[in-house]
Amino acid sequence: MLRYILKRLWHTVYVVIGISMISFFFIHLSGDPVLLMLPGDASDQEIEELRGQLGFNDPLYVQYVRFVSKAIRGDFGESLYYHVPVMELVIERLPASLELALAAMVFALVLGVPIGIISAVRRGSMLDMGGMFGALLGLSMPHFWLGIMLMLLFSVQLGWLPTSGRGTMAHLLLPAISLGLSLMAMFARLTRSVMLEVLSLDYIRTARAKGLMEEIVIAKHALKNALIPLVTVAGMQFGFLIGGTVIIETVFAWPGLGRLVVQAIFSRDYPLVQAIVFVLSLLFVGMNLLVDILYVYLDPQISYSEEK
Amino acid sequence: MKKAYFLILAALMLSGIFASPGMARDADTLIVVQESEPVGLDLMRSSLQNTMSVCYNIHDTLFFPQQDASIKPALAEKWEKLDDLTWKITLRKGITFQNGEPLNAEAVKFSFDRMFDPEIKSPHKGKLSAFTGIKVLDDLSFEIKTAKPFAPGLYMLAIYLPIVPPEYIKKVGNTEYNTNPIGCGPYKLAKWVRGESIILERYENYYGPKPYYRKVIFKTVPEETSRVAALLTGEADVISGIAVHQRKKILESGKAYLTSQMGVMPYLGINTYEPPFNDVRVRQAVNYAINRELINKALFNDKAILCNGPISPRTFGHAPDLKPYPFDPAKAKALLTEAGYPNGIDVRLAYPTYMSQIQEQAEAIAANLSEAGIRAKLEPFERAVMWQRYKAKKHQLYIYWWDDAPEPDRYMYSLFNSKSRDYYYKNKTVDVLLDLGRTIIDRSERAKVYNEIDRILYKDAPWAYLYVIPEVFGVSNKVFYEGDRDGFLNMRWARPRT
Repeated sequence: MLRYILKRLWHTVYVVIGISMISFFFIHLSGDPVLLMLPGDASDQEIEELRGQLGFNDPLYVQYVRFVSKAIRGDFGESLYYHVPVMELVIERLPASLELALAAMVFALVLGVPIGIISAVRRGSMLDMGGMFGALLGLSMPHFWLGIMLMLLFSVQLGWLPTSGRGTMAHLLLPAISLGLSLMAMFARLTRSVMLEVLSLDYIRTARAKGLMEEIVIAKHALKNALIPLVTVAGMQFGFLIGGTVIIETVFAWPGLGRLVVQAIFSRDYPLVQAIVFVLSLLFVGMNLLVDILYVYLDPQISYSEEK
Repeated sequence: MKKAYFLILAALMLSGIFASPGMARDADTLIVVQESEPVGLDLMRSSLQNTMSVCYNIHDTLFFPQQDASIKPALAEKWEKLDDLTWKITLRKGITFQNGEPLNAEAVKFSFDRMFDPEIKSPHKGKLSAFTGIKVLDDLSFEIKTAKPFAPGLYMLAIYLPIVPPEYIKKVGNTEYNTNPIGCGPYKLAKWVRGESIILERYENYYGPKPYYRKVIFKTVPEETSRVAALLTGEADVISGIAVHQRKKILESGKAYLTSQMGVMPYLGINTYEPPFNDVRVRQAVNYAINRELINKALFNDKAILCNGPISPRTFGHAPDLKPYPFDPAKAKALLTEAGYPNGIDVRLAYPTYMSQIQEQAEAIAANLSEAGIRAKLEPFERAVMWQRYKAKKHQLYIYWWDDAPEPDRYMYSLFNSKSRDYYYKNKTVDVLLDLGRTIIDRSERAKVYNEIDRILYKDAPWAYLYVIPEVFGVSNKVFYEGDRDGFLNMRWARPRT
């Protein structure tokens, strides 16, 4: 197992290097930040001067090697706009991103999984149909629209919750719901289909035949086996949530990484983009690894030590 | 029993969560919401509007720039012209920076020199490049020289040269200064939680008029609907960046109003180097094809001022005898035919997507143009691409803007002197006149030169002249704030509405 983890960690290095290379070359292809940093009437000499100062006149591979050699030592450079070390900015924003992702995930799981279970157990009932219709609705609503609607209702009309910003539980509620609703719908549908499959298996019939209470059959025997696909999807989605919540962060002025990376891309802030991509890819790969390790505990049939 | 506990617990949690969001602050605090967060708080290092807005609350310059391009004393108490190239300036006595450091002539010299320090990479240094240097005379007075006579000199100093504390900067360094600045303006930085808010507190030893609000909090909300929602719920007192379609909502809410000062002058630039627009008749046709009055009515509630030339009608130097090009599609068509395009032309119209208000204008203008046979295909570009294509001379028609600057040299030289930029237009006579205009110190003589420039450019039509539109800040009914022509959110002028 340890061997497997070490091997996976080693793979992570490849993945992160690959991603850094791709992002480095793509962001450089998108154009030069120097023109954006200077006012329109800057002379060609001023432009060249700044370009030289920032090292943009060197060939791209030289710039990349310079970037990597510094990054290995933990120095990702200074933001071209904020004029502070980029890692400082990333670390400042990371907690907000994690907080929102976690809240949305908890919301989605706490509501989605029970809805899925009830739908599966009461298959064909009004509850099932209602649950699945709600799930379809949740999946079809765009985050952006939902966020604004919730804000107009709960903040502007009712005045119960703040419109935007971060700080208290009240600030977290609307962004987490807007972000988590489609995820909740997805979990509900997924749980339902997996549970239906599991509930039709022989060992469940056996459990019922033994005279176990239906609650125990479902919670202990069926649900545990249904968890594997759920964990896989939740793990992947959590990775996406950390960096991919730009729209919700924008609507609710949530100070997370998603918004920062978009601003950085628009302003061609190369070092900042690189640092964010690096951190996000690490988190994403880390989540995947965690999911794989969790499998072992959820399903005794999976054992990585046999792979040798 | 369990159920009862649960209900009580739920009620407690909800009452905590749903505590009314906009109420928990005192009347001494003003909350300003902008569309993007400042990238730093060192005024010397950024030319971004939202950054400069916050900075002008912390930093002061030598003079207060006025709406008619004149200046009033600020840090400087008096000044005299020794000759056409030299001013002697005397500072007020007893001014201190927010850390107690004294403000003196050495600090001014330090600030001026810092502007040209390569490490600072100041985007404003070009604006001050006419100055050659500062000579300190005594503790409070100094001489500042230009290489050639430079009429807008003091006004440029009033906008672009914040005076910064030498000792503090030497101690903390430039990077730290950018996030933790000390100025001599009316507000000092209390706390900056990046991504969330910048809290400013009144500097009680400020030499000038005492601002009303003890605390000003700048926040960032990138989405325009959310900004308006914050204004209407009372979470924000002043908001910037209001889209055209949101104005009605604010006006009808009964809770807020829009500022009356105007700040933005959009224009439709034309690539005069290439056909069909290398023919002046085609350029004039574009000017005749645009229904400025209707756009003004439909989009700006009749609040915009129509432009008759490149110099804003409110700016010193504009030619008063010029009338805006009338809306005359028949004349536009006739001019096109005369220029050899009886079947009209197909053109591209580029505009930037990052500024509210522009898209609606681009659509309206394109519709107008097509009625006159100028079929424009809209090309929306994000900021960097728009700018890169602009500098690479790839636009054919493009919408950009400048702030409604009171000093004509500030933008006319930048936009029309081929030494500054010649991407789409070059006119030797205009070059000569613009060089001349900045050297004439006498205001009325100087105005004549700019009148002439305005007339030449009106006829030669390198732009389609549009209008100056309200910069529209949304302001809560509880607050009185008019805004400035330059569009900066300088909160020292805000006060409760009576």
